[in-house]
Amino acid sequence: MKLAQTVTVKAPRDKVWGIVLDVPAAARCVPGVASVRPAGSDRYQGTLAVQIGPVRLVLDGDIAITARDEKAGTASFRADAKDSRVGGAIKATVDLALADRSGATDIKIATDLQVLGRLGEFGQPVIKRKADQMMGDFAECLARAVAGR
Amino acid sequence: MTYDYHEPREVAEALHLLVKHGEDAHLIAGGTATVLLLRQGLIRPGHVISLRAIGALSGIGRAPDGGLRIGATATHRQAERSADVRALSPALTNAFASVATVRIRNQATVGGSLAHADPAQDPPPMLAALGAAVTIVSPRGARSIAVEDLAVDHFTTTLAGDEIITEVIVPPLAPGTRATYVKFLPRTADDYATVSVAAAMRLADGAVADARIVLGAVGPTPIRARAAEAALAGAKPSRERLAQAAALVRDEVDPLDDLRGSAEYKREMARVWTERALLALVEA
Repeated sequence: MKLAQTVTVKAPRDKVWGIVLDVPAAARCVPGVASVRPAGSDRYQGTLAVQIGPVRLVLDGDIAITARDEKAGTASFRADAKDSRVGGAIKATVDLALADRSGATDIKIATDLQVLGRLGEFGQPVIKRKADQMMGDFAECLARAVAGR
Repeated sequence: MTYDYHEPREVAEALHLLVKHGEDAHLIAGGTATVLLLRQGLIRPGHVISLRAIGALSGIGRAPDGGLRIGATATHRQAERSADVRALSPALTNAFASVATVRIRNQATVGGSLAHADPAQDPPPMLAALGAAVTIVSPRGARSIAVEDLAVDHFTTTLAGDEIITEVIVPPLAPGTRATYVKFLPRTADDYATVSVAAAMRLADGAVADARIVLGAVGPTPIRARAAEAALAGAKPSRERLAQAAALVRDEVDPLDDLRGSAEYKREMARVWTERALLALVEA
């Protein structure tokens, strides 16, 4: 499923670039992220806890920066995570595009999310809404984090 | 899938178990939702606490004020067949009778379905339209919350981990109140609604004195159509006026695209079925 968000941050593009490429810092803006630690060049490991009604997921996995072009203001990430208790996994690719807007920066976040295994039992529409909510919270938090730097 | 199964006989004992086992505990009443979650492996509690043997949670009866008390573990079938429910509101009987199949209704409980908070269920919109409230107990005491405020998201309520729904209270209806429940089922008779509409209306001197409209299956929770209600307040319920009010629900609902139709299609069906429900109330 594809998710799209745009958020405007009141900070110059280079400053925003600095935080979105700082994966552990940016990950703190994802609701439910417990820890993110480096695991090699441009790779990180982390844990994400998500609750949908009575179902609690603990997704363990890694994030990799797969492409970056500071001049163009674009970067791509890949995330793979699985919940071994419930038996399901997610795979996501996230493309970011930063654009100047008279002193502020627009961040476009395009996510392609696959939900595999038992997690899929929930129904894709409910998962999409949850993922949309999370990406929305992430974008807002990122805006605050950049403003606070 | 292994867990300890507990069958307390008193509410206090159930609360004690719930506190003792914390997040490792899961309540079960009829089990129609919980057993599926267990079998799919989506929940893995170490302790399952059944509410079925607690006599105080069962039964359906009239309250002294003329309203209705439905015990949390009363089944949908019991509610559907209850003379007390029908005497208060045949529309409420119809909402219970609209749930899935007899086999499910024989098993699923009224309190359990409210706690599960699937937004496509039938009784919650009708209970909300009739102004019903649930009583909830915890080690901190009892509280009451309106059915319309209980669910906050898909499968998510304001219930804390140590709280148990004990009963549903439906207040007496003001004389002259009419109510209806309609459910759009384009696929099969036992399906979840594509859109459902519960409405209650009271007319006085030919004008709408009170109207409550609650839609099911078109948002993360049952949705109260407040703009449509406001458009009816004090108005003469002409066909045109009802149609105008019903058109407002398009912007009040928040449906998802799924196999029952696109979000846009469901918005339009919400309008159509709201108009039909309102017409039925006026022309009854």
